[in-house]
Amino acid sequence: MIERYLHFLRVEQPTATETVDEARDRLAAMFPRGALRRMTHLGLLVGSTLDGLALGPDDTVVYASTYAETRALEDFLTSFPEASPLLFQTSIHPSAVQQVLIGRQQPVRCFFPLTGRRRLVEQALLTALIDPARQVVLLGGEERGTWMLDQGMASDRAFAFALSLRMEPAGAIGRVAYAPDGADQETSPCPTLLEFAEALAGRREMHWRGAGGGFTLQWL
Amino acid sequence: MSPSADSLPAGIEACDCLTPLGDATATATALLAGRRALQLQPVLGAAGGDLVPLALCGTMDETVPPRWLPALRRLVERIPGDRWGTARRPLIVTSSNYGVGSLYAFTRDHDPRHLRHGTPFACVEMLQHEFGWGEQVNVISHACVSAHLGLVQAARLLHAGLADRVLVVTFDFVSPFVAGGFHSLKILNASLPAPYAMRATGSIGLGDGAAFAVLTRDATPLRIEAHALHNEMHHFTGNRPDGAGFDTCAAAIAVTIRGRRVWVKGHGTGTLEAGRLEAEAYARHLPGAPLVSWKGSLGHTLGSCGLVELAVTLAGLRTGRIPGTVGGAAPCCTGSVALEAFAGDGYDGAILTSNAFGGAHAAMLLTHD
Repeated sequence: MIERYLHFLRVEQPTATETVDEARDRLAAMFPRGALRRMTHLGLLVGSTLDGLALGPDDTVVYASTYAETRALEDFLTSFPEASPLLFQTSIHPSAVQQVLIGRQQPVRCFFPLTGRRRLVEQALLTALIDPARQVVLLGGEERGTWMLDQGMASDRAFAFALSLRMEPAGAIGRVAYAPDGADQETSPCPTLLEFAEALAGRREMHWRGAGGGFTLQWL
Repeated sequence: MSPSADSLPAGIEACDCLTPLGDATATATALLAGRRALQLQPVLGAAGGDLVPLALCGTMDETVPPRWLPALRRLVERIPGDRWGTARRPLIVTSSNYGVGSLYAFTRDHDPRHLRHGTPFACVEMLQHEFGWGEQVNVISHACVSAHLGLVQAARLLHAGLADRVLVVTFDFVSPFVAGGFHSLKILNASLPAPYAMRATGSIGLGDGAAFAVLTRDATPLRIEAHALHNEMHHFTGNRPDGAGFDTCAAAIAVTIRGRRVWVKGHGTGTLEAGRLEAEAYARHLPGAPLVSWKGSLGHTLGSCGLVELAVTLAGLRTGRIPGTVGGAAPCCTGSVALEAFAGDGYDGAILTSNAFGGAHAAMLLTHD
């Protein structure tokens, strides 16, 4: 059994129609003004979930997103042949987290930006659980696409979450655990990133099988 | 912050790569002969644009199926074993760009077939289907330290007792998307890169690359002993000007050397400031260790560079000669830069480094019997 305890949780679930400008107005107080105008919707949401969470330089950040910087990607693609340098750097997969931590000038030792779809949550939890850092911050989220959404290549809603996972149980609000048993054949559907975010927001327990073991999200 | 590295010894059971110069052996041989794969080509492929240094397997313009798929088929044929992507034999796929060239192509010709592999998840699911890989796949995308991070994750899975063997596969093929992006940052220009050279203007080249490694808990003659990671989070595309980011990573990996005689395969893309900071940091922490970069020939193979260059390193060790800094020129920013090839038998280890956007640093210690 490998486990960590959940000491901080914040979930962002904006309205389905929230635009990046509306998010910027809503969350302006959380970010330096200079950084705010360049941040993406996903960067703003991830930054909001990290508000109030202290990160140290020896902590690890694990970040899960299937689609990541959809809007920057869409806009960068349509900026050709005069490619935009700002959109290029903002379109990379880990950009949302980097926008926030660069704004804070907060170095971290390990940063694992993960992607994928069907078993992304499982992959992110396993990455967090086997990391040796005192605190692992697990982040996830998506932003709503436009023309890529029409092609089925983007999220249809924006959301983000942040969890602080530590070894010590004292004061914890929840627990995540993985019990390996090597049984490869028995898997059950892994929750999607959105389902996981909704379970976090609703404090619902989750159990599923994958990666040769069983995963548990439990509230204390 | 106290510099510290993860001591996670993992045996290298198999490793190879594919570059425009061929497999790892052919690439190492070409580097030893001083050959450059980079050639000046239009930055947007068929759409034209300024001439920039690119090292490509064929032409850059995206096709259906994607142009990187035949290359990956050739590479995957060399991977030993089977049942990859199962619980005890997980697979880690890494890339900076995955199939983003297909998204670019879609915006040009509106052919919906490009979309089947345009996003990371679609790209990896296509590869799972193509190569019969199972569901246990970790997918990593941390720009140009992606492959390096895959090797870290593989070592962690092995040391946690969660895997017997781990396959890491990486690939990044240049597209107008990425070439246009780097060109917009003004670091992809008409000059061929000269890593670690002191000259008026820096430049990088971009290259196609793919590679794999099978890591195991078993003792093997070639091992990755330790990893050091650090993310500056100072600037998207620049490093801390005092070199603290390079210093932190170099100090951490230097602690793991423990009396070994090592050389350094640096990141060395050809940018002036980062090249100087990297060279100075390793000269400070590993005095006397020769420093080389191969990106003056291969170009920067982006997210795949950490593993592509590991495969070339292993091939160089097999020949007994380590390629020098192809494309480099004196004067260099430190005296440790090796412009010429040198004998590998005087060393019992090597440090391999990668860097990425966000001030990401990765270094690993490779040892051999």
